[in-house]
Amino acid sequence: MSQTQTPDMPAASHAPAPTEQRAIWLRFAVVACLVATFPFITSSQYYLHVAILVLINSTFAMSLSVIARTGQLSLCHAGFASVGGYISALGAMHLGIPPVFGVVIGGVVAGLVALPLGWIILKLRGVYFVLVTFTFGQMLTLLAIDAQSITEGANGIVGVPPIRLFGYAFTDRISYFYLAGAFAALVFLFSWRLLNAPAGRNFTCVEENLQLAESTGIDTRKTQVVAFVVGSAIAGMGGAMMTHYIRYISPDSFTFWTSVAFITMMVVGGRWALAGPFIGALIITPLPEILRATGGLQHIIYGAILILVLQFLPDGVASIGQRLRAFRKGGRP
Amino acid sequence: MTGTLIAQSLVNGVVLGMTYVLVAIGFTLIFGIMRMVNFAHGEFYMLGAFVTFFAFAHYQIPFIVSLGIAAVLIGALGMLIERVIFRPFRGNELNGMIAALGLAIIIQNVALIAWGADPRPVPSVVTGILKLGPLIFPWSRLYVIAAAAVIVALFYIVITYTSLGRAMRAVAQDTEIALVQGIRAERIYPFAFGLSVALAALAGGLMGPVFGVSPAVGLAPMLKAFIVVIIGGLGSVSGALLGGLLLGIVESFASTFLGATVSDFLLLGLVMAILIFRPWGLMGVKEA
Repeated sequence: MSQTQTPDMPAASHAPAPTEQRAIWLRFAVVACLVATFPFITSSQYYLHVAILVLINSTFAMSLSVIARTGQLSLCHAGFASVGGYISALGAMHLGIPPVFGVVIGGVVAGLVALPLGWIILKLRGVYFVLVTFTFGQMLTLLAIDAQSITEGANGIVGVPPIRLFGYAFTDRISYFYLAGAFAALVFLFSWRLLNAPAGRNFTCVEENLQLAESTGIDTRKTQVVAFVVGSAIAGMGGAMMTHYIRYISPDSFTFWTSVAFITMMVVGGRWALAGPFIGALIITPLPEILRATGGLQHIIYGAILILVLQFLPDGVASIGQRLRAFRKGGRP
Repeated sequence: MTGTLIAQSLVNGVVLGMTYVLVAIGFTLIFGIMRMVNFAHGEFYMLGAFVTFFAFAHYQIPFIVSLGIAAVLIGALGMLIERVIFRPFRGNELNGMIAALGLAIIIQNVALIAWGADPRPVPSVVTGILKLGPLIFPWSRLYVIAAAAVIVALFYIVITYTSLGRAMRAVAQDTEIALVQGIRAERIYPFAFGLSVALAALAGGLMGPVFGVSPAVGLAPMLKAFIVVIIGGLGSVSGALLGGLLLGIVESFASTFLGATVSDFLLLGLVMAILIFRPWGLMGVKEA
């Protein structure tokens, strides 16, 4: 569809200009290279483990920010991750589906669950949407606990097979690190291209000004459903990736608080910057580990960081550079 | 036998429903007045349960007085939190909501550190049973219903007849018009927030003897409060009253006769149906 953007359309401020694309490619390549050298810097299994979690979590935060671009906050993101995880794990263990396909199937199923839900609830705005996704997430957790004959209930599924590719099993941390890195890179590139495509630019228009977007001929409901389904499907794939890494899934693997953690990553990193979700995952994932020395205080500090970032850096850590530049020029950001 | 079961379910349902009403009224009040979704609401319920527990079980203060102490303490804490944490997020629903999530994490973990994760039983306030022909009702349940009814009635009087209550309703209906009338909304917000979380604290205190107290008790009533406000309409106090009782009774009957799992999914179905056909709730007002 044609882009009828008026000059004063605020959407433009958040969407990267085409000339920036090369710069983004360049930065992406630099970050990818830096990430790829990580296993050479440290051989500590523990650091590698945290790094893998950072990479997978960044895909959750990224997909959540795809949904957030349309102005909706999903509180059942972890619920869709658990759908993907359970589907892939059960498919591999009972039906013999190779986990490589299981990850994709898990994502597709999560997307298929999100589709009718999204269609029903996306006409709801803001707060109602959040409340329903919260309720739905709780129901998914209940389902995982109650459907004991399938999901093993609260005990969870033990011994989920690893991902295999051409006969090679990704069981050690270094190989899984690269697998997770490739997955995160794919999710990043996909999200970037999506948000840059006309369909993705519609996301931002819908978020900034729903009425204006509608009057320029954007099907706002369809746009929001597409974002919700795509974001939830990526969450499903991420959940499957996590499950095949941890080799275990239970109703406690992805709870309401996991969704909150994803939101925290997105907010702390920065909702509008492409790199925001990655930065957020990079900061938030190791935080409990770093703060472990403080005893039980880690979660309290975690909550405090969330509130402080919201108050003083509402556009997240990714906006610090922008602010500094604006500050040097003497203007206000 | 079936008659007893039905009566029993009804009483249990009303007990549950009254708790939901108390939690949901506060929740919906904050939304109506401040346009804010308080995800920490359940944590104030938990704090109320603990304060009541300590006052009643440790210091042997009469239960009613303990409840009052919890309401005042938690209400004051709520006013403080509104000033310090939520004021900067005025007018930004999404960020205020996320900040409330952060607050919930903080409160819950402070409680975990201070009091540990183990649930504690609360001694009964009243014992014995009421026999009405073949029907048997434990007094402990009837007590909760009576106390909750008194609290709701007091709340109704405050919100309807006092100048503070009138100011709150004015701000909820139209903040700008209220400002024009000389009501300082900024002054109203802390009181509204304090009153709202005090109601949650009262609900927590009342339910302590029935379910016990632990730092995790807040999440379930908050989930139910969400469902109640969806059923009743976000921002509608009468909707919270109706929705809470409806939810409690439906839940109690469904879990007695159909099992807890079916009951939970029935609720989801009910919520979805209401959202499809009446997204503004049973008693709410359709937003333009």
